[in-house]
Amino acid sequence: MRLKRNLLILLLLLCVAVILGLLKGAVNIPAANLLLKDNQAIFNLRLLRIIAGVLVGSGLAVSGIALQAILRNSLAEPYLLGTSSGAGLAAVSAVILGASRIYMPLAAFLGAALSIIIVYNLARERGAIADKSLILSGVIISVAFSSLIVFLVSLFGNEAMHEMNWWLWGSLQIYDYKLLLLVAFPVILGVCVIYLFAQDLNAISMGEEEAIHLGIDTQNIKKILIFITALITASLICICGIIGFVGLIVPHMMRLIVGPNHKILIPTTCLAASVFIILCDLLSRTLFAPVEIPIGVITAIIGAPVFIILLKKGKRIS
Amino acid sequence: MNKIIFISIFICLFFYYAAAAEPRYISLAPSTTEILFALGLDNEIAGVSTYCNYPEQAKNKTKVGSFSSPSIEKIISLSPDYIFCTGLEQAPVIAQLRQLNIKVYVADPVSVEELFNTIEEIGQITHKIKEASLLIEKMKSEIEEVSSKVKLIPQEERVKVFIEIWHEPLMTAAKGSVVDELVNLAGGVNIAHDLIRPYCNFSAEKVISLNPQCIILAYMDSQAPLKLVQQRFGWNKIDAVKNGRVFNDIDPDTLLRPGPRITRGLIETYKRLYPGK
Amino acid sequence: MSALLKINNLSGGYYKEDVIRGLSLDVNQGDFLGVIGPNGSGKTTLLRLVTRVLPVKGGEILYKDRNIARMNLKEFCRKVAFVSQDISTGFSFTVMEMVLMGRIPHLKRLQYETMKDIEIAREKLKLTDTLSLKDKRIDELSAGERQRVVIARALAQEPELLFLDEPTSHLDIGHQVQALDLLKKLNRKNNLTIVMILHDLNLASAYSNRIALLDKGIIFKEGSP
Repeated sequence: MRLKRNLLILLLLLCVAVILGLLKGAVNIPAANLLLKDNQAIFNLRLLRIIAGVLVGSGLAVSGIALQAILRNSLAEPYLLGTSSGAGLAAVSAVILGASRIYMPLAAFLGAALSIIIVYNLARERGAIADKSLILSGVIISVAFSSLIVFLVSLFGNEAMHEMNWWLWGSLQIYDYKLLLLVAFPVILGVCVIYLFAQDLNAISMGEEEAIHLGIDTQNIKKILIFITALITASLICICGIIGFVGLIVPHMMRLIVGPNHKILIPTTCLAASVFIILCDLLSRTLFAPVEIPIGVITAIIGAPVFIILLKKGKRIS
Repeated sequence: MNKIIFISIFICLFFYYAAAAEPRYISLAPSTTEILFALGLDNEIAGVSTYCNYPEQAKNKTKVGSFSSPSIEKIISLSPDYIFCTGLEQAPVIAQLRQLNIKVYVADPVSVEELFNTIEEIGQITHKIKEASLLIEKMKSEIEEVSSKVKLIPQEERVKVFIEIWHEPLMTAAKGSVVDELVNLAGGVNIAHDLIRPYCNFSAEKVISLNPQCIILAYMDSQAPLKLVQQRFGWNKIDAVKNGRVFNDIDPDTLLRPGPRITRGLIETYKRLYPGK
Repeated sequence: MSALLKINNLSGGYYKEDVIRGLSLDVNQGDFLGVIGPNGSGKTTLLRLVTRVLPVKGGEILYKDRNIARMNLKEFCRKVAFVSQDISTGFSFTVMEMVLMGRIPHLKRLQYETMKDIEIAREKLKLTDTLSLKDKRIDELSAGERQRVVIARALAQEPELLFLDEPTSHLDIGHQVQALDLLKKLNRKNNLTIVMILHDLNLASAYSNRIALLDKGIIFKEGSP
């Protein structure tokens, strides 16, 4: 079956990416020596980054798929509902208030959660969610919070600015592996749940009414999926900051290759996004070693031209 | 009658010229503010930026705005004779001020030598040439005191240092920055010395593999610095962490601000690199 | 012939406005009911209320004497299918994928389509003369082809009751007749009850066994053509 073949190819690519990710880095260690006890710390660091990469890639890409289906809009992406600016605002505020950096992830998570709650309530009309309202509220809150961030940074400069750098461009450098484990739960769970709703996503992506005619409880499913994508996104922002373009580009590309059937799209996108992120992280670590380029910059540099090419190809994108 | 009028006019003119004679300076950068105060200026300083927090008197001065966007209106309203700023982020402001024909002095010292030149030049502008020389002499002798002790330490015993400017993303300082030079003067070896830019992101892997004996955190955090760094995955193998030589109690302003207090930073750094020497 | 669908004193609409006011109508098993009315009379609204897209504000709708509002939605959709007038494209699924979606009411959440489902989909594609298009993407089709595919999807639901909202508006005369003939055949042979909104009274008279005239939210007149 075509699905099995695609999955196998992607799995192979993933193995290659993982191996490359372990072998290469800022410090040059020949492959034979990589597993020596002396190099264990560096090996573990790289492994941690790869695990984070898989989580980030799958989490953001599948969240992107879910939002694109719910909003029937190919330009939707995980940060659309204001989670990114909410997290950034909370992080900057925490820095300014002098909180220790161990509270950063918590602050970011709360910030993201707060913005999704605001956006959701703004978009609600008599208990139903209108797609356009959701997008509009998301954009408004994003802009409002981003402006607040700029305001705070302009007043309190230095440290706030450093913190912003991290949030804006993200990093797979995980210091706290316990936090990574903690975050892995909601992300993996969330991705699996979205996959469970593949059938519903197929129907909803055709139209709200069409979906109802096929027996899909669209309102409740939309609420559940919005909550889950927010959970995934907020959890990932906690540990990795904001990494753009993954949630937008990879779903697009995979839709062109395997089609819009979510039962196939979701698992293949998980694998493809993981490969993409791991390779981007590799570039960020090795291009100007030992200087590390933030991963968000790499995804943007690769993502932007790819996006333009996709737009020009036009035909298969709605 | 005429005499009274004549004397009144004379007194008014006297006060006018007296007021006008006292120069008015504005400093837009914390480092230059510290230099101005160190030269003995105080009343002449009409305005500072919101970040200027040292010495104590600086906090009471009129604020003309933040570091990167000072209020031109406010500056003009204070009728300054000279404005002192730094070159980097303040470039657009400088251009604006020059267009208004206000005298601007740009200070951007990236080395100790350049800092001395800056102090000398500021001394000339503010007519505090003697005070400037004295300050430079004092700083040079403080540096010399440390240097002479450092000369006694053989190369093999020089301490490898990692200067952590920020934690996430991990940032360090390299050659071309004042703090790198300070560490060098204090007898330390900056493991990130040879980077392409004075301040840039750094790879955690590299820190682990270069194994510094001492880590200096150039920022404030309420958590104990050792604990902060110890908790990082993979960092507990670094010598500095194993031996508890992670410090965040050197005032970052004495390391990062190119001003009169760098000697303080230098001495504190030396004390931590070579305790008891 | 028993009443398959009973609409009693139905009221409903959008927000504060009740477009349908106190409408009552019985649809009998085996009917081919044509619903005619001027623009704004609430035809589409009526269908939206019956297919549970809009909430019922007053009155009730009973399917085989069960209140549809209390039925499980998927169960309801196994009995009732709907072909809408609006055939805007979402993402570009293939024709086969679209028609297979008609099987969703019969599938559990994680269940993949079986051979039987695929067979049913193929059969319906054949009925609507769209089998040759099955691997094409729907945005590559003409409006008429798309409309026939949508009808095929509704048929794939294997409903007992089929609602159609101006299903022939995008079709040329040849395909119009073909589609209506097909529906008539299904109505007679498979006892498929059909309720169809039409503009054209002649067309309605030719195919329906009953006609209801809808105006200002109520049934104005009904009976045989």
